[in-house]
Amino acid sequence: MQTNGSADSEALSALRGEVRAWLKENMPTGWREAMTGVEQEAFVALQRDWFGKLVGAGYATPHWPAGWPGGGRSLAEQKVIYEEVARADAPRLIMYFVALYHAACTLIECGSQEQKDKYLPGILKGEVWCQGFSEPNAGSDLASLRTRAELKGDRYVINGQKIWSTMAQYADRCLLLARSGPSDPPQGGLVYLLADMRAKGVTVRPIHQITGDDEFCEVFFDDVEVPVEDRIGEDGAGWAVAQTTLASERGLTLVELSLRMRYALPRFRDVMQAQGRLDDPILRRDLGALTAKVHAACAVADRYLLKRIAGDEQVGDASIVKLCYSRTLRDFVSLGQRMAGLEGQYDVAFMRGATQETGHWALDFMNSYNWTIAGGSDEVQRNILSERMLGMPREPKAWRL
Amino acid sequence: MIEELKDAAHRALTDAGVGASEDKTWPLLVELGWLLVALPEDLGGIEQGLPGACAIYGELGRSVAAAPYLPAMLAMEAVTQSGIEDRDSWIERLSGGEYVAAPLARCSVRVKGGALSGAASAVQAADTAEHLLVFSDEIVAMAPLKTKGVEIVPRITWDETRRLFDVRLDGAALDGGVVLAEGDAARALSRRLTVHRDFALAAESVGAANAMFEMTVEYLKTRKQYGRPLAMFQALKHRCADLKMQISAAEALLQDSLDKLDTEDALTMGRMAKQLAAATYFTVAEEAVQLHGGIAVTKEHACHLYLKRALLNQHLGEGVDRYELDIAASVLGA
Repeated sequence: MQTNGSADSEALSALRGEVRAWLKENMPTGWREAMTGVEQEAFVALQRDWFGKLVGAGYATPHWPAGWPGGGRSLAEQKVIYEEVARADAPRLIMYFVALYHAACTLIECGSQEQKDKYLPGILKGEVWCQGFSEPNAGSDLASLRTRAELKGDRYVINGQKIWSTMAQYADRCLLLARSGPSDPPQGGLVYLLADMRAKGVTVRPIHQITGDDEFCEVFFDDVEVPVEDRIGEDGAGWAVAQTTLASERGLTLVELSLRMRYALPRFRDVMQAQGRLDDPILRRDLGALTAKVHAACAVADRYLLKRIAGDEQVGDASIVKLCYSRTLRDFVSLGQRMAGLEGQYDVAFMRGATQETGHWALDFMNSYNWTIAGGSDEVQRNILSERMLGMPREPKAWRL
Repeated sequence: MIEELKDAAHRALTDAGVGASEDKTWPLLVELGWLLVALPEDLGGIEQGLPGACAIYGELGRSVAAAPYLPAMLAMEAVTQSGIEDRDSWIERLSGGEYVAAPLARCSVRVKGGALSGAASAVQAADTAEHLLVFSDEIVAMAPLKTKGVEIVPRITWDETRRLFDVRLDGAALDGGVVLAEGDAARALSRRLTVHRDFALAAESVGAANAMFEMTVEYLKTRKQYGRPLAMFQALKHRCADLKMQISAAEALLQDSLDKLDTEDALTMGRMAKQLAAATYFTVAEEAVQLHGGIAVTKEHACHLYLKRALLNQHLGEGVDRYELDIAASVLGA
């Protein structure tokens, strides 16, 4: 059975069978229950264990170049792996995502040979990386960031504050974007550094989220020294390197997440049954409308990846995928929490590392903001879509705060 | 092949103009061989199946053309799939451009003693056609329209690009017509025709939504108020971005479902494609009129043609709400 999109070739079909069999054998069973109501440490242990297994099988690094363990897979093959992971409802590698994608792809595309040799093997061994891009006053407007990187001899001295760094409390290294030169234009004067999270002057403070999670952190840099050899690209070219970082996962995540949403549609049956409302035509009608949207979100993500595979992606396509997923997800969790009724409000279970389909609907609703705010908010996607895809003119920039 | 078909249809219909009449569009599509799109090669067709037909539906929607293409294509499919002896002569008649009528909404027809009784709703081209394609779980037939026991009632609709009729059959004789399927075969064929109809309405809605949306963005870029083009206001940009995303979703679902026709539950996929496309088209139409402002509520502008088609399309097929309930049943297992 195919999972999505056009029919697999024979080779892809074989890979699909192989991945499916491996997942059946190796996936941690009952992880959702095991991750409910536990402390962060249990989640970290699960992540480490699952990461080790995936790396061992070569399924964590299909996007790495040939020659690396598991590497050299085509985008079409990577897509198959993601689809199967979603189908099996395997845990997401949240703690390693920045290392495997952002750090690795940046190193592979923009790093020197010395930097690749120095850092890539560590990633395979389980070093955790975090991202140091966003700041309290530079969210959607990333280029306005103010963390300073001052070159003194053979090292940069960093001062400033980063925020929304996923799992930074466990990170060994940080992808750091900082300002080393003039900010006119704002995208200029930036430098891209690989900072050691154990270095003197680094302070990490987990952020207490509304769900009880502390997946994100603030990171403070006080006179933290980074050697010049840990700079990626030229001084002043940081923005371009950061774009490589952000483009690294190439639509795979949203193929996986939209499929997870589709596979979770039966959860609506569960909640309707629990509420004794299986025959309620009001809920049934809304579920019908949502189901079509969920299938459409899968189709959008799937076709986007097929376009990338064919090499004819256009400006704005990625924004359509992101906006379509995030809006559909919000419809998904909104309907679930409505169906769950008052009982849903009494359900305060918290599941670590879960996506937005835990069936704890109030939690899922709150968690869904991850996708409408992070990774380029819906509003940013709408700007990109309207200005760059539809050609609607930008507003004049004369006004200044 | 399908891309070429689409481009050719686009050019021909652009020349014909928005909302072109039946007199103009019907001879055009007969001449260009669009009735042969889905027909197998050994029967003289170009074998592009439902995806090929949907490329044409999309372009007809784009230009809100009036031609009764969907009834003709449903009849072609019904005849082709049937095992009747004089199949080839029927195909010849239909592909030669003989008008044929078919219901775009509910059809409940029973057969008794070799005569038909029941009702067909939103029947396109019932006045010009010789035959009406009826399809239900009990029977699929080409029923003669110019015979005793057939009542044809014109239903004037706001969408003037479609001429619709209610047809009532009361012991209407089948002489000169033909039964295409009965019993289990009728159920299967009727199901197939329902899938075709739903995909056709989906494709048409997506095409029309795209055209109306493009028109709207162009208008916003041209129209100036407060010393700037309306397209510069973020409040309007974001609405356009949302519409673009919604149209892309409906389009992706349509194309993805067409790709998977043979592998999954075609009936449910057709329902989802139709439901989302018609709902999206409706939203686009609603917004497009508002974004155009006053000009859109005058007949000087083409907006109203698209709006009226959008209003109608929601209700064709099984109608609003019914689709949602049927889709939900596929998730809930009952």
